[in-house]
Amino acid sequence: MDFDWMKIPYAFLTVFIVVNYGFLMTALIQKIGARAGRRYGIPIWQNYVDMIKNYGLRSSITHGVMFYLGPVFRLSGGVGLLLFVPSIYGSEMFSNLSFAGDLILALYFIFFGTLGMALGAAESGHPHAAIGITRGLSQVSMAELPFAMAVFSVALQYQTLSVTEIVAAQQGGIMSWTLFTNPLAVAAAMLSFLGSMMRPPFDVVIAPQEIPIGPPTEYHSSYLALMQTNRVIFPVAKIVIYMNLFFGGATNWPELFLKVFLLYLFSAFVGVCFPRFRVEQSIRWFLVWAVPLGILSIVLV
Amino acid sequence: MSALYIIAVGLGSAFLLGLLNERQRGLAYMITLAALTIMSAISASWLLIFAATGAHPIDILTAGTQPPFAINLRMGLVESALTLLINLTGLLAAIHMGDSLLAKGRRAMAVLVIAIMALCGIVLTRDIFNLFVFFELIVIATGGLVLLSDADDNGRAVSAGFKYLIVSQFISILLLIGIIFAYHATGTLNIDGMAEIVGSGIKPELATAFSLAFFLMFIAVVAELKPFPANGWALDIYESAHPGFSAIFSAATGSAALFAVDKLLLIGGADWLPVATGIGIVTFVGANLLALPQTNDRRLLGYSSIAQTGLVLTILGQQDILGEHTLFIAGGLLFAHAVAKAGLYWLSDFVATRSLTGWAALQERPLLVFAFVTFAAMLAGLPPFPGFYAKWELVHILAAEGRLALLALILFGALVEAGYLFRWFGYLIKREPDQEVSCNTVQIIPVFAAVLAGWALGFVWGELSGHSNLLLVLPLLFALAFLLLEWAPAWFKNTLAIGGMVTFFLQTYAEYDPLRLIFAVIFMIGGAVTLLASYHAHGRRIGFYPAAMLMFAGMILLIRATDTFGFFASWELLTVGSYFLILRGKHSEPHALSYIIFSLGGAFLILTAFALAAAAVPPAPTFAIASLGELVQPVAPWVFLLLAVGFMTKTAAIGVHIWLPGAHAEAETDVSPMVSGILLKAGLYGLFVLLMTMGKQSLYGVELTYVMLWIGAITALLGNLMAIFQEDAKRLLAYSSIGQMGYAMFGLALMNHLGWLLALMFVINHYIYKSMLFLSVGGVAKRTGTREMYKMGGLITLMPLSFIATLIGIIAVSGVPPLSGFGGRWIFYNAILTADSRLPMVLIFLAGPIAFLYLFRLIHTIFLGQLKDEHRRIKEAPFWIILPQMIYVALLMVVAVVPGMVLRHVDAYISRFFPEGALNWEGMSITSQFGYWNPVAIMIIVGVIFMLLFSWLLFVNRKAQKVKQFNIVFSAERPFRPETTHFAWNFFAPYRKAMGFLVQPFVTRFWETVTDLLHTAADITRRLYNGNGQIYAFHFLVFVVAVFAMKMGI
Amino acid sequence: MAHFAMATGFLLILIGAWGALTNRNLLRMIIAFTIADSGVNLVIIAVGYMHGRTAPILDSAVAAADAVQRIIDPVPQALVLTAIVIGVGVTALMLAYVYRLYEKRRSLDIGDFTELKG
Repeated sequence: MDFDWMKIPYAFLTVFIVVNYGFLMTALIQKIGARAGRRYGIPIWQNYVDMIKNYGLRSSITHGVMFYLGPVFRLSGGVGLLLFVPSIYGSEMFSNLSFAGDLILALYFIFFGTLGMALGAAESGHPHAAIGITRGLSQVSMAELPFAMAVFSVALQYQTLSVTEIVAAQQGGIMSWTLFTNPLAVAAAMLSFLGSMMRPPFDVVIAPQEIPIGPPTEYHSSYLALMQTNRVIFPVAKIVIYMNLFFGGATNWPELFLKVFLLYLFSAFVGVCFPRFRVEQSIRWFLVWAVPLGILSIVLV
Repeated sequence: MSALYIIAVGLGSAFLLGLLNERQRGLAYMITLAALTIMSAISASWLLIFAATGAHPIDILTAGTQPPFAINLRMGLVESALTLLINLTGLLAAIHMGDSLLAKGRRAMAVLVIAIMALCGIVLTRDIFNLFVFFELIVIATGGLVLLSDADDNGRAVSAGFKYLIVSQFISILLLIGIIFAYHATGTLNIDGMAEIVGSGIKPELATAFSLAFFLMFIAVVAELKPFPANGWALDIYESAHPGFSAIFSAATGSAALFAVDKLLLIGGADWLPVATGIGIVTFVGANLLALPQTNDRRLLGYSSIAQTGLVLTILGQQDILGEHTLFIAGGLLFAHAVAKAGLYWLSDFVATRSLTGWAALQERPLLVFAFVTFAAMLAGLPPFPGFYAKWELVHILAAEGRLALLALILFGALVEAGYLFRWFGYLIKREPDQEVSCNTVQIIPVFAAVLAGWALGFVWGELSGHSNLLLVLPLLFALAFLLLEWAPAWFKNTLAIGGMVTFFLQTYAEYDPLRLIFAVIFMIGGAVTLLASYHAHGRRIGFYPAAMLMFAGMILLIRATDTFGFFASWELLTVGSYFLILRGKHSEPHALSYIIFSLGGAFLILTAFALAAAAVPPAPTFAIASLGELVQPVAPWVFLLLAVGFMTKTAAIGVHIWLPGAHAEAETDVSPMVSGILLKAGLYGLFVLLMTMGKQSLYGVELTYVMLWIGAITALLGNLMAIFQEDAKRLLAYSSIGQMGYAMFGLALMNHLGWLLALMFVINHYIYKSMLFLSVGGVAKRTGTREMYKMGGLITLMPLSFIATLIGIIAVSGVPPLSGFGGRWIFYNAILTADSRLPMVLIFLAGPIAFLYLFRLIHTIFLGQLKDEHRRIKEAPFWIILPQMIYVALLMVVAVVPGMVLRHVDAYISRFFPEGALNWEGMSITSQFGYWNPVAIMIIVGVIFMLLFSWLLFVNRKAQKVKQFNIVFSAERPFRPETTHFAWNFFAPYRKAMGFLVQPFVTRFWETVTDLLHTAADITRRLYNGNGQIYAFHFLVFVVAVFAMKMGI
Repeated sequence: MAHFAMATGFLLILIGAWGALTNRNLLRMIIAFTIADSGVNLVIIAVGYMHGRTAPILDSAVAAADAVQRIIDPVPQALVLTAIVIGVGVTALMLAYVYRLYEKRRSLDIGDFTELKG
């Protein structure tokens, strides 16, 4: 096996860039959201402060092996997802570890972190963690459906499962983006996107305000630090996939930063406008609004 | 020795008995036995002569004159076999009724001998009036015996006998009038003479009179068969007489009367065959339906007897097309029925109460249970008994001649019959015995003589069948050998079983092509690995090994079968074996029943399909499975349809899936992985074979594989969806199996290269992870004493190995990289990109994430969350249950890292069918025309990232302190009870609110309605039998008029 | 003559059958059956009867040589003898049954013996 060992430092570089970008970008979005709600919001470096605080906490407990490993699974999922997909089109340096597999690998690897995290949280024995997980799983099972159909539609459209080739097919002007060549698939995928971003109206899973509910309930200190790191890597990694599939990919970092920011802003925008759904409501919502779009995109492609 | 001596000995000894002193009962009994033995020996010697030399029948002239001037008897192959059956039944019945006969004295013995003699007379005589005389003798003897042998001594038998006599009077009036007018028209009483005259054309002015006369004779003799619905008078005898006598009434009288009908049909000719068929099939179906709601064992056996007789009558009515096979088919069914029914009646004497559930008393006696199994299998026509071969032959000929409606009715009746027989067997095995078995050594002799006769007949019919004799097939013999080893300890038998399977695999593995090799490995090596778990059982574990090995033998023979006969026979074997295995579960009685009924229904469809296929090509003794591909329109799609539905009942496709959850969940710990991980693959193997040979078929413009694609997708979705709402861990896994089989079916129905590879990937993966999960959950259930998941929780620290197996299992099932399930998903996406249709994929896309729901539920509610107080001291599952799980974990890892090891060979093999779309296995990457995948790299990358982060966490969090169970942050309270803190029950409540409408039990309700309708119809018809002898006589007359009207209508 | 005998025979059979089906008393039923049996025997005899011939007894009145032309068919007569014997046997058996039934239940009504049904 001829492996280019330089891929390893490059991969680290990608992770480093994305983590820092993610810290700043998510804080910015938080701030935008706060301003929309007539609040002042957090400072832009708040995430760095939180990280330092979490690592600095001296109290540290564990409920067992799976509890301990949960955040590791979670962050491995995020980092893996990021690295299995090429970040910058045309750049050997930032094609990351995409030689290991194609789009399908990335899609299924999304669940790696989710599953490990769910297992870890469940071992804490905290009922709220389990409740959060059931809600999350229930919702995601339906929210992912339009996305899966959109991916199928796009793969049919370009007759490939390779992310690089899909991006390549969208080069040559904005009109060759999937957004315009296959709008139904993109519409379905973007609705699905809302469901996976943990923002209103689909954020009952972690229900951050009223009661401490949701999978991370029992996590604290360095566990929480790992999970926070994931909270910034994972959305970016996921948006990178969306960007590659539907929005022409990115040929350089600034383009990536911009596209990711705008896509993230889309979910934040919807989030500040709508109240929260209960789980069964969101399931029905996806079934009624997003799934038909996905079916149409499959049939019509 | 002349056959006349049968009559002479019978009459002589009866007179001799009459001369004896009333007190010399012992001597009288000896004379009775001796007479019956001599009569049997005469028959046996003739049977040997005819069977060995194939000699022509011999006529015996009674008055030294040629017929028609004197009565002549005839002894031939059939006659010798039938008289042997009758005499032996009589002898064994005499042995069985020993006590009773000794108590009643010489008169009862004389009547018994006379009855047997008269039955032989019916078989032997060629004179129509003589036939009447013998029938009357039987009426009198029956009446006498019933009068003497009132079983319960409460007069019920006496009233039954009187009803019998009333109707017999009507019958004999009709018969006599018929005989005299037939004589008037033909001038002879000799049956052959009459047939000759009728054949050469009867005088026109006498033709009408003769046909009327013949009708009267025919209907009178047919009435002796107790045709449905004019049979209330006979049923009461079955129910109330001494079982020793009921055995004669069922086995011997029925056989003799059938032969008499055959003689009459010789006279009547082809015109009357449809009448016989009609009466026969109505009787077969009607009596079986009425047997369904019976609760009295002997009455049920009576209905069953009547039904079987009806079936043989149907066959006699079909002799125009059955031709030379009539003997083989009718004989197979008749002997199977006679031996089994006699055996069951004798067995019924050991049971104190007259309810079906009372037979649970036999549980304590494995040998008697074995006898019951033998008899039930004979009646149901299962291999290796004669009925099986006969059924095979019959169905083939009926299909070849296009008599499909009759074929369907016969199979429907047989299914109903199997239904009540196996329900009864379920009672026997599973109900609480309320009393002891009462039997003495002497009474057991007849029962086991019948058992031996059953197996011997199975051997003979196997030899005669022209197909391979199942009783000479090595795997089956190996399985049956365990019957003889039942005394041995379980560990010994287990070692032998494992050794046998592994040895057989090593001996034969070179014979299989890559596809079959995969199934062979799963069936034999997989079976051996799963059997490791059986070492945990102590004691002798009676009944387990014959059943398990029967199932494995069936599966092994299935992949080795080259012709349809071998395929079908092994299909039935594996079905029966797995039924016995499933029935061993504590609460599995209703589930095992629905399993066997669905399976047999499916098997009948397969049988019909094979028969239709064989009918479409030039006649040949065997039909190679490969020749299925040569079929053309219009028969091909029908064959495809029947086979597909048949196989789908085994893979539990939606609509015919309702048997699976209960059957798999209630089975024993080590049985669940066998029937789920291994047995389900037999259905998939069938579908593979079907699609490989027949390819795409369309019916009325509908592509059948397309329909299958939808069924697969719906099954995958609904199976998964139902799984998430289960509280019972094993039921959850069972529903998950339904979903997984749906995926595999979906892959097969895609009809492209990768689709099949996908199906095969599911075959391998499902075997590994489902076996592992069932074992793991089974081990937990064993320790905790419950399968309800919400009653468990927090077991991770107590049962870490089980937890690891479950964890690996659920990651593999869900398809998350880096484990082997991902390979299946990757192939799936590549497969659907080239598929012709896209809509069914939507369902599969939905089904995928739903799997996460139930998998998480499985691991969370059992191993994570809150540990219950009552479980604080439980230990890890037994070593022998853990060991195979660990082997499976290792296997899963191997398949995950080097899937190519197995799949590339199959990939190449599938290229024979679909050259397009093969994967490229060069190097470490697996590439398709759309994408690529590098399992080793994935494993390494994920491993490295994980280890790096883990080390980092260990570094920054090295001082983490383990806390107690309730040390959690809670909303303003401090939890102290695990029950109220463990979130587990109704886990996916929101999901049920949103999607619950999809899992309403429509299918279950449908099948419940079907069975309810059958029962209701039977219950309404039962009201005809109001117990009044006069009404029964009236029924009989109405029956006569109805048959006459119909015959004239024809 | 023969036709009259045959018509009478069938009439007797019908009367017997009617009686057996309508009388609920066991003894009356048996009597009805014996009437029907007689009818059957009459029919058999009538079938064998040939006008102008003599009884099939080979004695001084009928020489063996031309017996075939002069006697009626002996077979039905032989049959009738057998049938009568059997009829007597069955009737006796039925009477024995009635005796036993009456002993058990003190009743002769057929409707009282319906405990076995369905």
